[in-house]
Amino acid sequence: MEIGQYKTQMVLLITGLWVAITLCGWFGHWYIGLHLSVVLMLLHMMMGAAQNGKLDRKLLVYPMLTWAVVWIIGFVLAKQNSDAFLNMAPTYKIFGFHPSFAWIILCYWIGGVLTLTIGFVKYKNLWLSDEAWDRFTEKMKQFNKGGQ
Amino acid sequence: MTDSVKWLILLFSFGMIVVSFLIGWAAKKKASDAQSFFGGTALFGPLTVSLSTVAAVASAFAVVGVPGLIYSTGNTMNLWMLSSCAFAMAYMAIGKRIRAMAEVAPIASLGDIADLRYGYHRGIKALLSLVLFIGAIAYLASQISACSALFAHLLGWDPYVAGFIIFGILTVYTSLSGEVGGVLTQAFQGFIMVLAGLIMIIAFFFITGGFSGVVDIVSSAGSVSAVVDGKEIVKQFTPNAMNAWGALPGSIAMAWMVIPIIGTMGQPQVLTRMYALKNPKDMPSLGLYAGLGHFVVGFFALTMGYAALYLVGKGLISPLAVADNAIFAVADYVGVYAQLFVYAAILAASMSTASMFLTLSANILSRDLPNAFGLRLEGKKQMNVSRGITVVIGIVSILFALSSGEAVAILGTFGWGTLMSATFPTFILGLNWKGASSEGVFAGLITAFVGNIGSLWLNNHGFVWPGGLPWYVNVITASIVVTVIVSLVTKSNKETQIDPRVDAVIDL
Repeated sequence: MEIGQYKTQMVLLITGLWVAITLCGWFGHWYIGLHLSVVLMLLHMMMGAAQNGKLDRKLLVYPMLTWAVVWIIGFVLAKQNSDAFLNMAPTYKIFGFHPSFAWIILCYWIGGVLTLTIGFVKYKNLWLSDEAWDRFTEKMKQFNKGGQ
Repeated sequence: MTDSVKWLILLFSFGMIVVSFLIGWAAKKKASDAQSFFGGTALFGPLTVSLSTVAAVASAFAVVGVPGLIYSTGNTMNLWMLSSCAFAMAYMAIGKRIRAMAEVAPIASLGDIADLRYGYHRGIKALLSLVLFIGAIAYLASQISACSALFAHLLGWDPYVAGFIIFGILTVYTSLSGEVGGVLTQAFQGFIMVLAGLIMIIAFFFITGGFSGVVDIVSSAGSVSAVVDGKEIVKQFTPNAMNAWGALPGSIAMAWMVIPIIGTMGQPQVLTRMYALKNPKDMPSLGLYAGLGHFVVGFFALTMGYAALYLVGKGLISPLAVADNAIFAVADYVGVYAQLFVYAAILAASMSTASMFLTLSANILSRDLPNAFGLRLEGKKQMNVSRGITVVIGIVSILFALSSGEAVAILGTFGWGTLMSATFPTFILGLNWKGASSEGVFAGLITAFVGNIGSLWLNNHGFVWPGGLPWYVNVITASIVVTVIVSLVTKSNKETQIDPRVDAVIDL
């Protein structure tokens, strides 16, 4: 997937998202801000993971998009349960946690590690292949030999 | 606490300081050139770098302040502490490019990377150094102040004695071995934190029987009071503390999720460790190990806050007059072994963060700032100057931290967000986007510098940002907006004007 030519647009989107998230914080729309921040982080990872302007679709689907979906599900369920039990004791628990916080534990914390961290290890070659690194170091040797 | 327990803590802590010193001493052989001394560049495997990174990221605040915040406001702070996937995100977003810069030319500091990317722009290097220096000194002074006061109180010593013993020894080994010793001692201290964390997590389950009991107690305890030292202390419990966002306003919950997760990639203690990694292809493993280490440390902080809530709610201990005493109250309740490991964890957290920011600030003063003003020392001479400056900063910081309580508290406002406001325009945007120009990044750094200082002033004059949003979010956003807008209308060191070697890094 070619993203190299869209990097300026992605940076503009990142900038817009920072502004939007800040304004969400200012005007009490923090829950929307949480969702926007997932898009912001996704864009940063997409830009960083591209090799020669190309982002591998497999890497985009897992871990990146899978992580984004897991987090958004977590935020939705956390909000639903915090609204349902506002100012009262919860009528049930999940693994002993408040049902709202349990989704933060399951999706935000454990889900975040299982998707991003494990996925990054699994598909490390799609992030930086041996050939790309070797080609790069060879290029640097040539540049530096040439007195650059 | 009995005298014998105090002696045990003293022995245990002193043992840790001695081991740290010996590691630093042994490492000085490896600090043979500027790259290894200032940057530990391309020297270490993923396990060492991960433990060092986690230890430097988790300061004394993570071990003491976080359980205190959980005790007083519930789960809001847990959003910050459960950010374990942030390491993988950071490495994915910027890791290979930071590491690749070490192949372009000899890299020993973040300032060197900025030099290569922005054509040796002096203003960028100077401002980047200044903002990082402010953040580094803030972290350093806070660690010294908190840790010295804690051990002085515990052992009945003068804080200066405690401060000079702990941080004086740290200053000596840091000045001898530079960043090589820094990474290795921090890895050892990170291991201690993880070990202490695991022991205290097990203790939590023994005390409470699990999370369910904590939720029940917090949801039903209402108001608990007791007279402590002739003063009535009241702890008001609310069931909302246990929901996902805690008892603080939603905008704080949002900021405490966004800033730690995305901000990890902008922390010098993470960025500098990216180029300390020997093989860049090990970076995903580094993300895994750092994530797991942080997993334990984050859970440790959560369980200590929860344990304090449980003990107070159940009437097993009195409500806390000072929330930051939460972890000590839990350790005292559990007994000797918990006290030993809690104090060891606090010492490890303080020492690792302090040594990281001591080397960073010494490198800035001896290397990056003089370079920005055209003064360049070579090789051994530069290392010797830096050793001297490390000692001076170490001594001045100890004296400052212990004599200027109010100033340290004010300076403590700077930290995570301050560091992000400088590194985001310079590296996170600049190494991923060829459109970032020197003028744009320079303007972004001016915004960050003025914004940080201005916000400190506003903060101390009672100004509250709309929605109660932490001030640093506004400063980071402003610096990014200015960087991008100015970059769009200026030309230097962007697109075709970028050094071809750096161009290859951005394409990598």
